[in-house]
Amino acid sequence: MAGISLEKIEALAPDQASLVAARKLVKASGWSGLSSDSAGLIWGECQGSGSSPYRVIVSEADAGYKCTCPSRKFPCKHSLAIMWMRAEQKIPFDSSSTPEWVNEWLRRRKTGAGSSADPEKENAPATKSLTDAAADKTEEIDPKAEARAAAARERARREREDAILAGLDDLDTWLLDQVEAGLAGFAGQAGKSCRSIARRLVDAKAPGLATRVDALPNRIYSLPESARPMAAVEQLGQLHLLADAYRRQDSLSIELRADVRREVGWTQSREALLSDEGALTVSGTWRVVGAMSEVQPDKLRRLETWLWREGSGEGPHCALLLDFVPVAGGQTKGTYRTGEQMQATLVFYSSARPLRALIKEVTSPAQECDEDVSLTESDLPGAYEGYEEALAAIPWLHIWPMSFMNAKVRRSRSGLFLCSAEDGAVALPLITGQADVAAPLGAVDSVNGFALWDGYACRLCMAQTPLGRWVAE
Amino acid sequence: MKVDELRSKTLSVLLSGARRESGGELLGLGSGREQSILNALSLAGQSLRFDRPAVPSEFAVEHWPRDDRPIIPNRLRRPILRLLDRSTDDTARALALALERRKLRPHPFDLPMLDSFVRRYADRLGATAQFWVQKEAPAQQIRGYFDADELSAENWTEASPRSRARFLRDLRKQDANAARKLLEQSWSRENPDSRVQLLSILHTGLSQEDRQFLESIQKDRAPRVRAIAHRLLMALADPTGENPALAACLGRIQRSKAGMLKRRNILKLEMPANVKEHEANRWIQEQFADVTLEQLARGCEMPERELVQAAEEDQNLLFALTLIASREKNIDLLDEITDELPDAWGRMSELTWEEDVERERKEINSWLAALIKPKKWVPAVPFPAWSWLHRQIEGPLPADILRGILASRAWTEQIEPEKKGGSELVQVICALCPPELREAIRAQLEPLEIDRKEKGWTLLEILDELENVR
Repeated sequence: MAGISLEKIEALAPDQASLVAARKLVKASGWSGLSSDSAGLIWGECQGSGSSPYRVIVSEADAGYKCTCPSRKFPCKHSLAIMWMRAEQKIPFDSSSTPEWVNEWLRRRKTGAGSSADPEKENAPATKSLTDAAADKTEEIDPKAEARAAAARERARREREDAILAGLDDLDTWLLDQVEAGLAGFAGQAGKSCRSIARRLVDAKAPGLATRVDALPNRIYSLPESARPMAAVEQLGQLHLLADAYRRQDSLSIELRADVRREVGWTQSREALLSDEGALTVSGTWRVVGAMSEVQPDKLRRLETWLWREGSGEGPHCALLLDFVPVAGGQTKGTYRTGEQMQATLVFYSSARPLRALIKEVTSPAQECDEDVSLTESDLPGAYEGYEEALAAIPWLHIWPMSFMNAKVRRSRSGLFLCSAEDGAVALPLITGQADVAAPLGAVDSVNGFALWDGYACRLCMAQTPLGRWVAE
Repeated sequence: MKVDELRSKTLSVLLSGARRESGGELLGLGSGREQSILNALSLAGQSLRFDRPAVPSEFAVEHWPRDDRPIIPNRLRRPILRLLDRSTDDTARALALALERRKLRPHPFDLPMLDSFVRRYADRLGATAQFWVQKEAPAQQIRGYFDADELSAENWTEASPRSRARFLRDLRKQDANAARKLLEQSWSRENPDSRVQLLSILHTGLSQEDRQFLESIQKDRAPRVRAIAHRLLMALADPTGENPALAACLGRIQRSKAGMLKRRNILKLEMPANVKEHEANRWIQEQFADVTLEQLARGCEMPERELVQAAEEDQNLLFALTLIASREKNIDLLDEITDELPDAWGRMSELTWEEDVERERKEINSWLAALIKPKKWVPAVPFPAWSWLHRQIEGPLPADILRGILASRAWTEQIEPEKKGGSELVQVICALCPPELREAIRAQLEPLEIDRKEKGWTLLEILDELENVR
């Protein structure tokens, strides 16, 4: 199992102080039980200021980690230190059997990634947690209770469907109010107005739609004032489209139906997707082409990792790994770095244009890779046509990934643009936050890369140029 | 209904408001008025989403300059970003000097992250860095992007201030008159800071041929320029003639005799009562700025060498002599003075130096050998003094001097493990460290806590790597 590099540790560290603090712990004397297994798990106990030592576990396959210390930094110095010791390979790790607290963490992770998961260990009776044992017992002794629970779940589902439909009616009423007042002035009072209907949608158990409405004012305010009225028409129009599609979801294709239900707020658990034999699975060499971290209005941090599958073969080339962590938790970055490469099997959530996926199995963990990513051969106009096709398939589409060749970054009075090689064909404005960091790309004549387009602005994630790789960080 | 027709019918109503009396245009898009309005909203919104973004009518033409310097190797990009994140200015300066020496430049993609470093040291980092710092400047303020060795009499006014000063200084050494004529031609377009820097270059090769120009600028608007012009004219004057500054200095120096068997001269500088202790160095610098050693010796009626012995009990007067000897590059005398006043350089570091004092490397080394005497130091040399030293010499210390420093009590006491802080001091000593002593300094820093030594350590590693770049 290839390990975590020092560069990756540096990238994972929340700040420089954490690295410095971790460096102080890179010595065998402060640690006990430093061990590893063949599946790429490393663990150990570090004596901190408390009476009992902190238990630290790291999965080398996907740089997942857990430490029992009370630090509000993620990863904490203990997690970084154990990775560091492993990367330097100066301090030996024993090959011992996995202790119960490590197995417990594996069970709780439930990512399926890397499969941290050695099925044999998972099933070993000696390592079963009390919770699991209790669950098993319940299953064995009370099938009627299970039937009652299933009926209760079905009742809850029906109630939720009713609540959502009622919420959608209220949404339509709200939309009518906005149109009657005139959308030219919508931006002026969007914040307060959207907040109130978002609350109503939360009550109606449509959290996906609520988040979308909540984020709407920010999206509109990020545009130039002159573009806001039209943006209001577009955004509110999408809300009605979604509401209407939800009401007549039975007439939609299975994939689009899954899309609309997900947009409204229904979720499919990781376990359900991973065990769904009909789900689309794609294996191959995946490269990380973008990593994003964004705080949502609901105080969750959204961590996006965009993957690109190299080589030919059936199935999507692009995949999105999505994680949510509480902002208060302090974690600001995902575990993957742009440019990394891994061999993995991904399973995709059902969609008319499958993008969001989970890692089902990692056969070779993420490693630094300096080679260029083999992107699509399409130019920027071609990539934009791909967006238009996706928009036709999913009318409420929000973000669409674009892989392109031979583009240019140019500056106009209103900011930076990603332009096609051919003048005047396509020019996509870059988000204002990249006005500075992407400016040096103006020095090169041709850019191949990967970007995210939201209909208004483009977020460049990665560019391959004659001067090397540019990465948005 | 076609898209254009749909938009023309619906958008104006949607934007201005579909109150009861309006919105008739939308009827027919659904069952009933409300459904029609909502359908119109969705259809219009969706049709707008298929509009391609407008292409700007014009783009700025950015001419990134040709830059012949190689870009630093990829493996150094991350360490440099990490190093410059909250490092001291000494570390940044040491890195900029190393890049300049090796004729390397930062990776263009890193310029936004290194913005403050690049802004401060652009003229050492090559043409691309100079372009970067001026990319948002108004057109009339943009200078050219040159490496100093590409400058000529035709383009020197377009280069960065430091490159221009270097060019003029080199020219002055080869052809003093040509340098002065170039300066006269550009004089009216220079700002006060440039005038101060460029005028002080005339110290080199000063002759009577400069007199006319110096007299013409005696009424310059900037007091600092007037002061330098005055000083240069004084230097041109007959050394035996009247010098009001000398008279003022002599008026503050008390002369007396001491000793039983052999009577010796004693000199004492009487400081004005209103000059506070922390202002003394500045007052001495200003008071003795226009006085030469020769004039002072003649005024005190003793040889120059005897001045030091006579002043040995007066640290302020010794400091005044230090400043004059340093200015006049009288290294032997400076060496004698610092035997009596080993912390003279610490006091010098508290002053601001506006004049151009660039010296040849050989001159710098002898100046340093006379000024820096680690064996005589009392402990705890303040950090700003080290930083000042690095600013003055713009490079590493000669190995002999740093070896003395590493063995001195003043340094070893600073790096005792129980001392807290001190990362800044470690950084500046690493910045001053010549390549041959890096291993020695690493060995000394080894026992320190990581947060005290990390920046200095990283700097040494990067400097090592830069020297090995081919």
